[in-house]
Amino acid sequence: MLLHYLDLSWRSFKRTPLVSALMVLAIAIGIGVTMTSLSVYHMMSADPIPHKSSQLYTVQLQTMDEGHTWWTGDDIPMQLTYQDAENLYNAPIPDKKVAMMRTGFSVYLDSDKVKPFISNARMTTPDFFSMFDVSFQYGGAWSQQQEQSAAPVVVISKELNDKLFAGESSIGKLIYLDDDSYQVVGVLADWPLNLKYYDLNNGAFNKVEDLFLPFSLIKAKELTSWGNSNGWKHEDTRNFADRLQSEQVWIQFWAQLDTAEQKLAYGNYLISYIEEQKKRGRFTREIPQYSLRDVNQWMEYNNVVSEDNKILVGLSFMFLAVCLANILGLLLAKFLRRAPEVGVRRALGASKRQVFLQHLVEVAMLGFIGGLLGIILAQIGLLGVRQSYDYYANLATMDLTMLLSAPVIAISTCIIAGLYPAWLVCKTNPAIYLKSQ
Amino acid sequence: MLKMNNISKIYQTEMVQTHALRDFTLQVDEGEFIAVTGPSGSGKTTFLNIAGMLEPFSEGEYLLDGIDVGKLNDNQRADVRNQKIGFIFQGFNLIPDLNLYENIEVPLRYRGIKASERKRRIEQCLEQVGLASRAKHLPQQLSGGQQQRVAIARALAGEPRFLLADEPTGNLDSLMARQVMELLEQINRDGATIVMVTHDPELARRAPRNIQVVDGQLADFTLYQGAQTIKSAAGA
Repeated sequence: MLLHYLDLSWRSFKRTPLVSALMVLAIAIGIGVTMTSLSVYHMMSADPIPHKSSQLYTVQLQTMDEGHTWWTGDDIPMQLTYQDAENLYNAPIPDKKVAMMRTGFSVYLDSDKVKPFISNARMTTPDFFSMFDVSFQYGGAWSQQQEQSAAPVVVISKELNDKLFAGESSIGKLIYLDDDSYQVVGVLADWPLNLKYYDLNNGAFNKVEDLFLPFSLIKAKELTSWGNSNGWKHEDTRNFADRLQSEQVWIQFWAQLDTAEQKLAYGNYLISYIEEQKKRGRFTREIPQYSLRDVNQWMEYNNVVSEDNKILVGLSFMFLAVCLANILGLLLAKFLRRAPEVGVRRALGASKRQVFLQHLVEVAMLGFIGGLLGIILAQIGLLGVRQSYDYYANLATMDLTMLLSAPVIAISTCIIAGLYPAWLVCKTNPAIYLKSQ
Repeated sequence: MLKMNNISKIYQTEMVQTHALRDFTLQVDEGEFIAVTGPSGSGKTTFLNIAGMLEPFSEGEYLLDGIDVGKLNDNQRADVRNQKIGFIFQGFNLIPDLNLYENIEVPLRYRGIKASERKRRIEQCLEQVGLASRAKHLPQQLSGGQQQRVAIARALAGEPRFLLADEPTGNLDSLMARQVMELLEQINRDGATIVMVTHDPELARRAPRNIQVVDGQLADFTLYQGAQTIKSAAGA
């Protein structure tokens, strides 16, 4: 019977092409607008590392004295001091942990083929790649020994390797960063990361860095942060060594905690670390305070998806509702005009339920066609968004979930809009129309 | 076949209460051919709509083939209507977008009959009404008489035991009306029970039993049995 209803729906579409096309257009515009904003929202709020997001925790410590406040919800600074990051990195637990900082260099080769250019870099520890599931096209991460000895080694992105070495393996080759040469030990495979969740302090939607170097080089080369660096009290920092020992926060720190037990144990360790630091005159608050947030909690804590985005999605759904209100009016007119035919069908044995279903199938079909057209309009909308802002390049796209959601939303909202007209036409008294036709 | 006891139908508006039928009692036996006559507004069509379960009645009891219609819900009424009753309307009421084959197919689809069986019945009915070669034509490509024959074919396709005809020849010229009437008589001879509402006294006289409805009540009936005519007051 469903196929028969579809056949009747298609005939109805052809019988009133203008009204049907208007309804499809209204749905398509509503879906186009809604899917544009919803797709961006979906990509922004999507779990960037779903299979592991609940095992990766960012570490925050309450270093400030009593009475000082931070702009976070719980008053805890989002980054760590260098000395805390170094201490926690050298701690016995957990097995995998990573300290990091954003910086940048002037990049060039020992040839005149490539003009020097400025590139973002991430100073990090070697577990970064395995913790955040980054794979390599060539080579791999630097060793722990190279980390300890601040070896001049570098891992470069695929894009940078394509630019500098035409995509060939560059393992063992030298590149120049500022005034020093570094040996390439690894080239990353494609890493299409929409959201740079591992460092939300420096632009959540910025491009992933092209250079990755040992964290220990910060101290060795006195590298400054290209990211946020915050203080909460006056300190007389005259040189780099002072800065490393200061209470300024500028290092991000992550720990991989695979089980609840590991998380509990690490929490206890952080408490004991704070207690130990207290003896040295730091962490003066009476109650030690720390925070471990997993990837999704970290994204929420940092308001990655801003209220504006949520309001925009809400508004686009309201726009869809307006489109549906128009469709409801058109459906009412169309269905009630067909009441005489419904009267005949009822006389010939159609139950109210069958008539109701027939009309719902028709609105579902309109929704499906409108949904498909809406996807095309959404693609145009997303193209416009991508061209407006660079950092939306990866975000303003429709993934498979959104592609499948569009017709589902279109069909279900159309069915909601069609419920009343379908109900009205199915409960009309057939006897009235049979005589008057 | 059909038994109505003290059926009343009241149309209620805010200002007026209209009794379309009052204490209407009638029994129709299997295989009968009854013509229902009466002035306009007397309640003939209301009677037919109630008989066809297209309208509920306000009071009384209605048994169709032993089934108490008053106790059926909408789905059950639709099923009974689909399986036991065939309708023929004055305005033919064919669906303009569907060709003849598809029009006749409508009641069969609602009954859930398989495609092969539907095809057999439709071809047989079209043959019976002499329109087998027009199966793919749309209703508007046919004359009024032909359209009414299609409507009869549609009513017959479900093999109903009870045919309700509301002015079946009202929109036809005399020649076509005669042809349609002959077709109905043939269907009656084949075993179907027919109740036909008509204004045409000539046509009514061809039915073996006439009943007259006046002011929503059964006024009298006449039996035509060959040359003998028996006329009596209702209930006599």
